[in-house]
Amino acid sequence: MSGIFGIKKWGGVASGAMSPGVTSPSKGKKDAEPEPEITPLVKMLQHAGPIRNDGSDKFYGMENDQYAKYYSYCNSIVQALYYSVPFREHVVKYPPHSPYDTPNGHPPIVTPIRAPIQNGAAVSPKPKGISAAEAMKRRAAVNAGQPVPAQAGQKPEDKPDSPEYKKKHAMLAGPILELTYENASSYGMEESTFTALKDIFMALIANNSRTGVLSPQRFLEIFKRDNEMFRTSMHQDAHEFYGLVLNAVISNVEANSHRLKEIEPPRDDHSLALSMKAAVTSAATAMGLASGTRSPGTGWVHDIFEGVLTSETKCLTCETASQRDETFLDLSIDLEEHSSVTSCLRKFSAEEMLCERNKFHCDNCGGLQEAEKRMKIKRLPKILALHLKRFKYTEDMTRLQKLFHRVVYPYHLRMFNTTDDAEDPDRLYELYAVVVHIGGNAYHGHYVSVIKTQDRGWLLFDDEMVEPVDKSYVRNFFGDKPGQACAYVLFYQETTVEAMRQEMEAEGPTEVVTATKQQETANGHPQPNGTYPASVSKPVSASPPEENREFVSLDHAVSSPLPMSNHTIPRILPTAASPQVPILDAAKVKTKEAKEREKKELKEAEKARKVAEKERQKAEEQKKKEAMQTRKDLLKSQDAEVKRALAASKHSAAEEEERRKREVGSSTSTSETGKENGHAEKGFARGLGRAHKGSKSMSRKSFGFLGSKYGEAKTHTDDSNTAVEGDSGPQTPEKHSKSTKDRFSFSGLGRKKSNLI
Amino acid sequence: MFVLPPPPRYPSQAAYNLAVQNGQAAPMIETNNILSHPTGPEYQLVVGEGTYTLKDDLHLATPPPHPSEAPIVNPNPLATTPQPATAGTKLSLLSLSSRSSPPFLYRVGTNQSTRSNLNSSIQEHPSEGRASGDQFPPSSDGGYTSATGSARATLSIGSAPAFGEGNTFLSATSKDTGKRRKPKNNIAKSNSSFISRCIVHENLAKRLQDRPAEGYFAFANINRAFQWIDLASPQKAEHLTKILFTKGHCLCHDINQVTKSQSHIDLIMGFSTGEIIWYEPISQKYTRLNKNGLINATPVSEIRWIPGSENLFLAAHVDGSLVVYDKEKEDFPFSPDEHSSPTNENSETANGESDSSTKLQIDKSVHSRNQKTNPVSFWKLSNQRINAFEFSPDNRHIAVVSEDGVLRIIDYLKEELLDVFSSYYGGFICVCWSPDGKYVLTGGQDDLVSIWSVAEAMIVARCQGHQSWVTAVCFDPWRCDDRNYRFGSVGEDCRLLLWDFSVGMLHKPKTSSVRQRGSISSRLANPLQRAETPNTSMFRSNSVVSVDGEYEHTIQHDVEPRATTATLPPVMSKVIDPDPLCWLEFTEESIITSCKSGHIRTWDRPRDTSDSDVISSST
Repeated sequence: MSGIFGIKKWGGVASGAMSPGVTSPSKGKKDAEPEPEITPLVKMLQHAGPIRNDGSDKFYGMENDQYAKYYSYCNSIVQALYYSVPFREHVVKYPPHSPYDTPNGHPPIVTPIRAPIQNGAAVSPKPKGISAAEAMKRRAAVNAGQPVPAQAGQKPEDKPDSPEYKKKHAMLAGPILELTYENASSYGMEESTFTALKDIFMALIANNSRTGVLSPQRFLEIFKRDNEMFRTSMHQDAHEFYGLVLNAVISNVEANSHRLKEIEPPRDDHSLALSMKAAVTSAATAMGLASGTRSPGTGWVHDIFEGVLTSETKCLTCETASQRDETFLDLSIDLEEHSSVTSCLRKFSAEEMLCERNKFHCDNCGGLQEAEKRMKIKRLPKILALHLKRFKYTEDMTRLQKLFHRVVYPYHLRMFNTTDDAEDPDRLYELYAVVVHIGGNAYHGHYVSVIKTQDRGWLLFDDEMVEPVDKSYVRNFFGDKPGQACAYVLFYQETTVEAMRQEMEAEGPTEVVTATKQQETANGHPQPNGTYPASVSKPVSASPPEENREFVSLDHAVSSPLPMSNHTIPRILPTAASPQVPILDAAKVKTKEAKEREKKELKEAEKARKVAEKERQKAEEQKKKEAMQTRKDLLKSQDAEVKRALAASKHSAAEEEERRKREVGSSTSTSETGKENGHAEKGFARGLGRAHKGSKSMSRKSFGFLGSKYGEAKTHTDDSNTAVEGDSGPQTPEKHSKSTKDRFSFSGLGRKKSNLI
Repeated sequence: MFVLPPPPRYPSQAAYNLAVQNGQAAPMIETNNILSHPTGPEYQLVVGEGTYTLKDDLHLATPPPHPSEAPIVNPNPLATTPQPATAGTKLSLLSLSSRSSPPFLYRVGTNQSTRSNLNSSIQEHPSEGRASGDQFPPSSDGGYTSATGSARATLSIGSAPAFGEGNTFLSATSKDTGKRRKPKNNIAKSNSSFISRCIVHENLAKRLQDRPAEGYFAFANINRAFQWIDLASPQKAEHLTKILFTKGHCLCHDINQVTKSQSHIDLIMGFSTGEIIWYEPISQKYTRLNKNGLINATPVSEIRWIPGSENLFLAAHVDGSLVVYDKEKEDFPFSPDEHSSPTNENSETANGESDSSTKLQIDKSVHSRNQKTNPVSFWKLSNQRINAFEFSPDNRHIAVVSEDGVLRIIDYLKEELLDVFSSYYGGFICVCWSPDGKYVLTGGQDDLVSIWSVAEAMIVARCQGHQSWVTAVCFDPWRCDDRNYRFGSVGEDCRLLLWDFSVGMLHKPKTSSVRQRGSISSRLANPLQRAETPNTSMFRSNSVVSVDGEYEHTIQHDVEPRATTATLPPVMSKVIDPDPLCWLEFTEESIITSCKSGHIRTWDRPRDTSDSDVISSST
């Protein structure tokens, strides 16, 4: 079949690539002629209302290397971050105004639109990174046409319905946002991981198309500039990446606000008197310190991601109990077979004996003593990232193996392990993103993320491909299904009971679709994403839910500490975090109205959908036979593809390695050892500050897999550490703790807020 | 044993050949059930009253996929094609003798109705078949303010009215009770595309004749197969009959306790395709209902006969509907549009908001005049998947749990929603009533078993001990009395947990401080206070619905904060199976559990004689 079939398909593709005009992306693919290849995503977005300007309805894939999935760790995490509403909003708003914009009054937020829409071989940009250039070349080759289809029979991407095919298609359909230059200066910041991330977010928001592909190349380059161990072509750890990015964002933002404060204090173009301002600033600083943040205006990152762990240690010799608080950006939890996330979290807080090599330095007794320790959560973060420790050293400590334990995770969560004095200990969380690792061990594999978007349900983000999936799809990654795909990082965000109920009500049609789909499968119909809930595809219903969401998210803010930005530069207030408390009542009223409206619409939509569905089912019955055939082909092809995908990193490792070497060789003089540990150490040596900070706030276990062995005793070099932390002790960061102490206290002391008793 | 399979009846020879070519010759070889008797301390459960020991482990054979189906093995772990619904092995137990009935604990001076004689044997859930003549007050119905049992006065309980009583259109069907009506089609000779084949044990008639009257039959689903097993037989592993379906998986099944006899068993099965089969195993006859999803096309997650009814059964579809079918009626395409509008006036008046979660949407009432065809009634609870439901012992209520973490108590006779409770978080998976109808147990995705007091409309305790989701809960009526309750639970953590709770302990007021919290909404009155107000209970014992408007009756109850809720630890917790468990039942002699991969394990209750030995050996 492959020969003719492939070429025929290819024809369709080519024409599709030409049609969504490069010049008019606003028209986009949505109104494009009825191509044969309307992706489920595009289908879902048909009849969507006007594009919103908060970026909540942008669904972009992210480009990866075509053959080896080197960057999927980045793509999966960046997507998860993007769809965190508070984070995205704050990133967009963050530098409230840069010194360069102030004369104009309004900062030109639209700058990232400069990102060229690379559709086709036409415009080849200035070669920025080698790999980017290579990617462009490849893209050009693909678009040029003929050579690729010639070898079509063998290529997985030529089989329709395969991930490769869909990804290629996404690339061809475009628009492809290539962030080839930085906009850091327009934010009034130095180029950094934060600005690069902001570039991505801004570009997505500014673009006129709802769908497309974005190249994170520039972001990665900047990130790698600061994190050497990510410069290799090795398979990287998405969770580690997450921690480093978050810490980089924190330090970038803090550094910037410091710079702003110190370099140009007289920023009084507004009507505030100098004295007033000074008072406010000092008050803000005080407040900032009190609430655990260092720099005013930067508290948002902490507010969103940071929680506080209390480790209560009781010396068994003198019975003295001591408490120590430390902040965390995520929780790394050990897994057990046939358990739940809830249970793993319980274990995390279970009592633990500090004995033998792990003894506790008791101030009271003045020596290493046996002690009892337990970790509880004192302050819950708004976004709770749970890192499931699926990678564990083998018995002989030579290799990281992957644990395929079945660990179930619910859609909603509350934490059992809070301290008695914790604020809002029954806080309700909802699952909003799952980063999935596919692969047999820690050294190769692929990451994808499954993310709940504000009003488009759950989507699968697999590099360039974005596809709507059913809610139950989220449960495919407990770890017990064949295919080596397991949830690796779970992102929970705070929500309220009301919001949850409302959502459940609105959610209904999806379940119905599930059932219908099940029937389809039973009939052997290959179309996986035939329909989508009417609530979703109906044009009108798009806006009210959005309203709701916005208010709902504001509701959350009530139970959380007041954002620091309120006290900083008064002028930011309205934009940054203003509508939180005051509007609340109005918001609730509105929500109710909107709710009713929404419900009516839902009902209507439901009717319409049912009629449509019946018709569709008839049609499907007719297609059944051919469908069976297609399905068989598909299954075969998928078989091949997955094998390929899984082996991909191995296959082209050599190629990539070479490329990398050239790249690295030019910038760094260090030679590559190619070994994981080697990289790791170097990474710490070079990007020490960041990495170390990471270890601090990423909690004790985050870096466990890098250098230290699980369960190994820790070195007690640092005397200021009264409590010997952690069973899985991150050794490497600990070693460096002294040398980085200055830096740490500079930016991180406030967060640390250790109260040694 | 080796059963020679009958000649295949696959849709086409071509499909069969194809399967063989693909190296799937395997489907023709039917694997057999395996019975084993593992021993050792790891197969013992040590509890206060003694040691339960594993009697045997029956591993049901998982049937290979049907050859006409395209192999479902999709190597792409990210494939977005939805998986067909399936369920772990669950059992319907049947005893034809009346000896092994659970002790009716509270029945002093019992005045059983005649019907209850039929009921008085072991049921799938012992509590379910509680005869309506039970003198113990159905507390969920009467408004008893406290659980002290003082309020057994006012309400004359008599027998609960039959479902749909008073509707002459409905009652027309069930005449001629002299002879049990059988389904129409012979399952062994069926040429239905739904049924692949039926394997009958060669000595079925003999085995049925020779067996002791006391023992249990078990009906069990596994994958696309459905087996009838004689648990009392020494040849336990040999099924009496085995039905293989083509693609539908049987997800749930139930035996009618009213009509059962030596010569007749009414069995109802719900399928992943939404279809329902009424099956009479002794005559090997069956009838298909909701054929091709005519009435509701979503999978049936739970199915039960309405207590006391010969014909009517209730099926929960995963789209959130509860549908009553009549086993003998024809299907008729059902569209909810024709429904009679009145919903639960009760909630509308009490809760000003039109929150659909606080009312029962009746798409077709049992009192509808059109009762010539199925469905008999059709209620839409929500859009969320219903995971389980159970009838109360007094046959007036159902407790329904769903995937959105909501427990609903419904007066199904009046078609009225009484209470809505929420899980701590996550969905509910299982539910059951206490034998006296006072309490409802739920298990769910918060790893908790929750005890709810129906009369007081509040949570009593959260039972913490599972390490994963709780998949089944069940009371042990043989170890319950009027103040102490024993129940068990099993979960995805492969554990069986046993729990004891006593009324006195549970009603200890918890004095810890109550703080206002953001995420626990405080929109409604504290349930505790509510239980104390006499008005509320007045209303609840009042059968006139219309007067309730003035009372502060709330249907939707909020989540109680952790700090103010009692917790209960288990008395026993043990991993009893390598696979996640999904079903649990107590009988007089044993605890029976089953798991997702088809292990049925029978744990004998402690025997007085051997207790000491067993304990010493296990420690």
